[in-house]
Amino acid sequence: MRLFKIFGAIVSIALRRDLAFRANLVFELLMSATGIGAAIAALAVVFTQTPTLGGWRFPELIVLLGSYQLMSGLLAAFIEPNLMWFANQVRDGKLDELLLKPVPSLFMASLGSCAPLALGQSILGSGVLILGLSTLGTIPRPVDIGAWLIMLIIGIMITWASRVLIATLALWAPGLQLDVVYGALWQFGRYPVSIYPEPLRTLLSSLVPVAFVATFPAQALMHGAEQSHFITGMLLTCVATLSAGLLWQRGLRRYTSATS
Amino acid sequence: MIRLFHLVWGHTLRQLLETLGWRSFLITLVINQSITPLLGLAVWSAAAPGMAITTYYVAILAVQMLTVSYEHHTLANAIYAGDISHELLRPQPVIVVTLGMNLALRIWHFLFALPVMILIILLSTVRFQPSDLLIALPALVMAMLVRFLFTYLLALAAFWTQQAHGVVGFGETLLFLLGGIAAPIALFPEAWRQLGVALPFRAMLGFPAEIAAGGLSRDQILIGFLWQLTWLIVFGLIAMRIWHMGLRRYTVVGG
Repeated sequence: MRLFKIFGAIVSIALRRDLAFRANLVFELLMSATGIGAAIAALAVVFTQTPTLGGWRFPELIVLLGSYQLMSGLLAAFIEPNLMWFANQVRDGKLDELLLKPVPSLFMASLGSCAPLALGQSILGSGVLILGLSTLGTIPRPVDIGAWLIMLIIGIMITWASRVLIATLALWAPGLQLDVVYGALWQFGRYPVSIYPEPLRTLLSSLVPVAFVATFPAQALMHGAEQSHFITGMLLTCVATLSAGLLWQRGLRRYTSATS
Repeated sequence: MIRLFHLVWGHTLRQLLETLGWRSFLITLVINQSITPLLGLAVWSAAAPGMAITTYYVAILAVQMLTVSYEHHTLANAIYAGDISHELLRPQPVIVVTLGMNLALRIWHFLFALPVMILIILLSTVRFQPSDLLIALPALVMAMLVRFLFTYLLALAAFWTQQAHGVVGFGETLLFLLGGIAAPIALFPEAWRQLGVALPFRAMLGFPAEIAAGGLSRDQILIGFLWQLTWLIVFGLIAMRIWHMGLRRYTVVGG
């Protein structure tokens, strides 16, 4: 409960700080809008050549794109500002400051600051999602919306845990900077996993669970959730969160700070 | 002119060695740059399966690696930090340093991505015609020049605004969409195809790949070269003008 309160305070302060620079807000929104516009245009070109892509129709892919943007906004707003270039913090000893605070260190390290302007992307993404649903002409049943919400939470948890795992590796190998690689893998979430050739497809829905970012939530919203996705999702969430916590504890023991 | 070439080459060699110092980061950059062409390959292999698509995307992966431009990191950040003051004092054009870094990064990008390309070629039995590759070579050199000038031009926004990274990012989005990665320009709807051929983005990326993949007629190749030349001159002139305007605005404090 206390952590939620702290998290709220962090967000509120960051929001007030960011809203002071309105030109940046407009610019950020414009950038997100062009990014989404470009993605839709690219899809539109693909669908001039084919009626379905990996079994998905055009409006369905718009819903998927909306989900993807929604998650990308959350990642960019709450997680990336903390864990991007985490290895640098380890190397120059900035982690000390975090460890001294009377809050769980993992919480501070992974959620201690945020960039609320990036939420513009999530809002636009939600708009795209609704647009896709309305072109599809189906109103999702309450059950499906519930399933979507659960898949979304699973997706968020997996995203958080996997990002922490990647960052924590820096405590063992400070030279290893996998931040850009994470961003690159994240891009695979843009499209349904069914378009990728086989060994990759299984990989993306299990070991590197990119499918939970957008494919599975969008599927749940439009066609109801599949039980197997739920079960693997829950399992992955548990395993990833537990190992993130464990690895963090283990890694901290290796952290020796840097002299100041 | 010869002195200029020597200077650029000297800087390139220096930067080749210097960037090798952070090679692990370099590899992550290469992965990041190759992801959009690979995604394009995945999407289009699902949408319109066939040899031609794979050949095209292998070619565009190579072109992407040889034309990557990070002037928003190198030049724009140097302007923000005031580092270009040192360069301004040297008896050589400042662009020589930027160009050297650019070439060094491109060479490393290409070499690091080479295994991926070879792997795709081996897995998919893609074949390139040597004669096509020969014609693609000058187009590639032109693309390298045009894309460098384009990114350089956008990065010069750093003289006026804090958002140079965003400006370059916007340019990259357009390049992704209209340059031939999101979709091969040959597969655009009719009206858009004509626009795509004329816009500078194909000149920077898609054109050499299309030649290498062997899908263009003699006339189409000629028109492509003409557009490349046009954009090279246009961007070159604007970049020169903007650079001088920017320099007049540039102030730096401290020493």
